[in-house]
This record gives sequence, C-alpha cells and structure tokens, in this order.
Amino acid sequence: MTHQMKNLMDADLSEAECMLVDVYRQLARTVEMHSDELPPFAKRNALKAMAALWQVMNGLDMDPGQVYHLGA
Amino acid sequence: MDESPYWNPRHETMPREGTLALQVRKLRNLVEWADAQVPWQAKRLRNAGVTADSIHALDDLRRIPLMTRDEWMEGQLEDPPYGTNVAAPKDVAIRYHMTSGTTGKTPIRVLDGMKDWEWIAEMWCYGLWGFGVRPVDTVFVAFGYSTFIGFWGLHYACEKIGCLTLPGGALTTDQRVKQIVDMGATVVCSTPTYALRMAQEAKTLGIDLARSSVQRLILSGEPAGSIPATKKLIESEWGAKAGDTAGMTELGTIMIFECAKQPGGTHIIEDNYIEEVLDPDSGEPLPYGEMGERVVTSFGRGFIPVLRYRTRDFVVKVPGSTCTCGRTWDIYDGGIRGRVDDMKLVRGTNVYPRAVEAIIREHPEIDEFQIHLYTAEGRRDEIEVLVEVSDAKADAAEILVALGRELADTHEGLRFGVKQAEAGSLPRFELKAKRLLDERIVIGTEGERRTQA
Repeated sequence: MTHQMKNLMDADLSEAECMLVDVYRQLARTVEMHSDELPPFAKRNALKAMAALWQVMNGLDMDPGQVYHLGA
Repeated sequence: MDESPYWNPRHETMPREGTLALQVRKLRNLVEWADAQVPWQAKRLRNAGVTADSIHALDDLRRIPLMTRDEWMEGQLEDPPYGTNVAAPKDVAIRYHMTSGTTGKTPIRVLDGMKDWEWIAEMWCYGLWGFGVRPVDTVFVAFGYSTFIGFWGLHYACEKIGCLTLPGGALTTDQRVKQIVDMGATVVCSTPTYALRMAQEAKTLGIDLARSSVQRLILSGEPAGSIPATKKLIESEWGAKAGDTAGMTELGTIMIFECAKQPGGTHIIEDNYIEEVLDPDSGEPLPYGEMGERVVTSFGRGFIPVLRYRTRDFVVKVPGSTCTCGRTWDIYDGGIRGRVDDMKLVRGTNVYPRAVEAIIREHPEIDEFQIHLYTAEGRRDEIEVLVEVSDAKADAAEILVALGRELADTHEGLRFGVKQAEAGSLPRFELKAKRLLDERIVIGTEGERRTQA
C-alpha cells in the first residue's frame, strides 16, 4: 500500500513515516474506544507504546496534542 | 540509509524560517492548552490579552507575562504540594521529582505523565546522539538516582538509543571508577566536578583513565562543562572528549547540548523550546552576542506548562551557522555563563565564581578549591581562595603567587588572598558543587551595604 501524507510544516512524509503515523492513530483509537475491554497487561502496555509513538508523532510534526485523558 | 549524525535530521537542519514557523504553531497550541487547563495561567494570559487565536508571529510571545521562580513557589504555598500551574490530574502522573535544593530554597516540585517521560528522554537523545553516542556504547551514569531529576532522563535516553546502560547509583567513588574500567564503559556521565573527582580517585587507585575505554564524557549540572580550562583538564585526565549539556527540573530535561564538532557552545533544541535572551533589568530582548538572562518557553511537558520562565541563567546567543555541524539551531556560546544570583560584590568589584574557576583550572596541579568571603575587622569585605595542590612535584608557593596575580589582573586589581589548604581538607561533591562560602556579616560597598542576621 502506498500513500502520501504531509506534516503540519507541509513536508512530505516517507512511506515508513506514514506507516508509523497510521500505527499511532490506530493505537490511540483503540486505547480511547476499547481500553475498558482490555485486560490490565494489554491496556497498560498499549498506553506505554502509545506514549513512545506520541514522540514519533511529535518529531514528525503531526501535532499529537495531549493524551493525559487517555492515561498517557 | 546511512546513519544520520542528527537525531531528528528534518528538524535539526531545517531552514530558520521553518523553525520559527514551527515555534509559532507550537506556541499557539501551548497557550491554548494552558488557557484551557490551568486557571492560574488562564488569568495571567487573559489579563495580558493573550489567547491562542491572537498568536500569529513569534513577536506575539512578548505579550505573554514573564514567569518567575517566586511565582512558582507562591503557587506551591497556595495549593500544596504541587502548586497552581498543574494542567492534568495527579492520578495520570507516573513520577514525582524536585529541585536539588542546593540553594537552600524550598524545592520546586514537579509531576510528569507517561508521554512526558518519553519526551524528557527524547531531549537527552538529541544531545547524546549529537555528541556521537551510539547503540554500541556502554554508558556509565555516575549519579545518585533519587527525587532529584538530574540524569534520570539521560538514563532512559541511553536505553532508547540502545546503549548498554550502567546505573552507577549508591556506589562510592572508587567503586564507580573500578566499574567504569572493569565494564569497559565507553561513555561516562556526571557533573564536571565529579568527573574530576573520579579522575583524582583513579590516580589514587593507580588507574590511568586516559588508557581506559572511555571515549566520551557527558557533562551536566554545572556551568563548568563549558569553561574551556575545566573542560580541557577533564578531557586530559580522561583522555576522552567532554560534551556539555544543561537542563532544569522546571523543564524536566535538557534544553541545550554540545554537538560532536564542539563549537565552544551548546545548541538550543529549538523545535521543542523558545529561548529568549533578555536584559535582566529592563526585560528587553538582546541581540546575538550580548550577555543576558535566559527566558524559556517549553513545548514538551504538558503537565506543567512553562511559558516565558525567567531562569536567572546568564547566556550569550550566537547563530547556529557559527558551528560547522550543519544544525540550524542557535548556540549559547560558552554554555550557561553563570547565574544572575551568583554574582558577588566584593569591595565594589563584581566577582563571578565561574570566572574564578576558569582561572584556577588553568593550573592543573590544583585538585580542589574553595572561594571564601568573610568580613575582616567587622567592616571590610575580604575574598580568599583556598586551593589544594596535591602534586608533590609542583611548586605550590609559585602557583599561589601566580594565581593571586592572575585573579587580581582579571578583577580590576581586587586582592585575593590565595592560600594552600591541606590535601583532602576541602569538600568534595558528587552533584552540583558548592565551592563558594560567603560568611560575610557586612556585604557590598558603602552605598549597597547590608547586614546579614
């Protein structure tokens, strides 16, 4: 799958960077909508992974905003 | 893909106009967050007529009121223990830290969430990677892991980079030196003072650190990491390159780092901070090349929004282009030059401990020193410098005379009493060194005289 994405500085992201953005968004959506359905190990590890990928979003200029309301 | 010398190549080499545009956007986001989440910040911002929508250019930053340490402390007293500038509920915090308390003041207390800690480590990654630390490195962290934030972020950054990380807490100095050698550490992290302390200990143990596997030292916690004579001494004792960094508990991490090109200063991490240099009296911005007070705005830690915080640090900003590394980020020439509060007035002459240290460190035979201020005959300011000269082959008397002359020459002829202290008699430090002892009962010149209790 090839797709294009620009960051907020209007710079093109690479294919690999786009894939990470997609992963973060899917992870954040899962945590936001389904965390109550997850066992403790899955929920807390997902939050930790989200916190790490938040920094990827930040470094790519994708303005991930604050995520305290999700627990991270 | 070839390995990049930059942690975040896009940001670190971005044209200036891009960096400034990024800062404006992040500033708008920060104002919006602080306004929405922190009533104390919202009141300050609204009183100054600042809303996120009104931020269009970097000049708009100047409309935001300056924040002081005193205001931070007042907030902690008003709403203990964390204060009035907290933007998220305590139950999502994963860590508590506080300032080291070396000034004797009530500590600043801070909270951070999970992603804040990723960011804290990320800032250290910029510095470590930029100075050449790589996954193959074995890093020894000479730090007493505690509620003082110190090198915690560096520790996580080393893990993030993939280094083999050795937490060197709760060890004596000789144990640390032996572990550095035994484990083949290639990078050692400490304060500049403690790097010299470990070098002294190594000599006592008969270990030649210059022949060890250590290639890099990451220094932080004191301005001495950018004092050329101190850095030269550390590099010579260790046979390794020393890179300066500086951070603050108020930010949670570092905001400046020295790159591998060692340009004589530290790059500002400008995709995550806005650093202003202001006249400490008038509050007016100063141009490149002039010394002023650092004022910081941080885009990282969301738990405690930091907008235009007066740091009391003295700095001189120069363009990033003065370094050959390719980063476009501005530089603090000479790192942190000292603190506004550090300056001592002795018989009408300004004395800065950093300047005194720079002169003392030109004499590598001097192991340790202390600056002592006292009142003579109940009315006269006196300053003396006590030095330990442990090298038996050195001519101590000659060093004392030369040092006294050099100190006077650089301080408008001010007479310093330079005396030799017994070897091992002066205090040693692991964290921030406190080498100035002010025991005066009367301070300052006639017009500025005040009496201590």
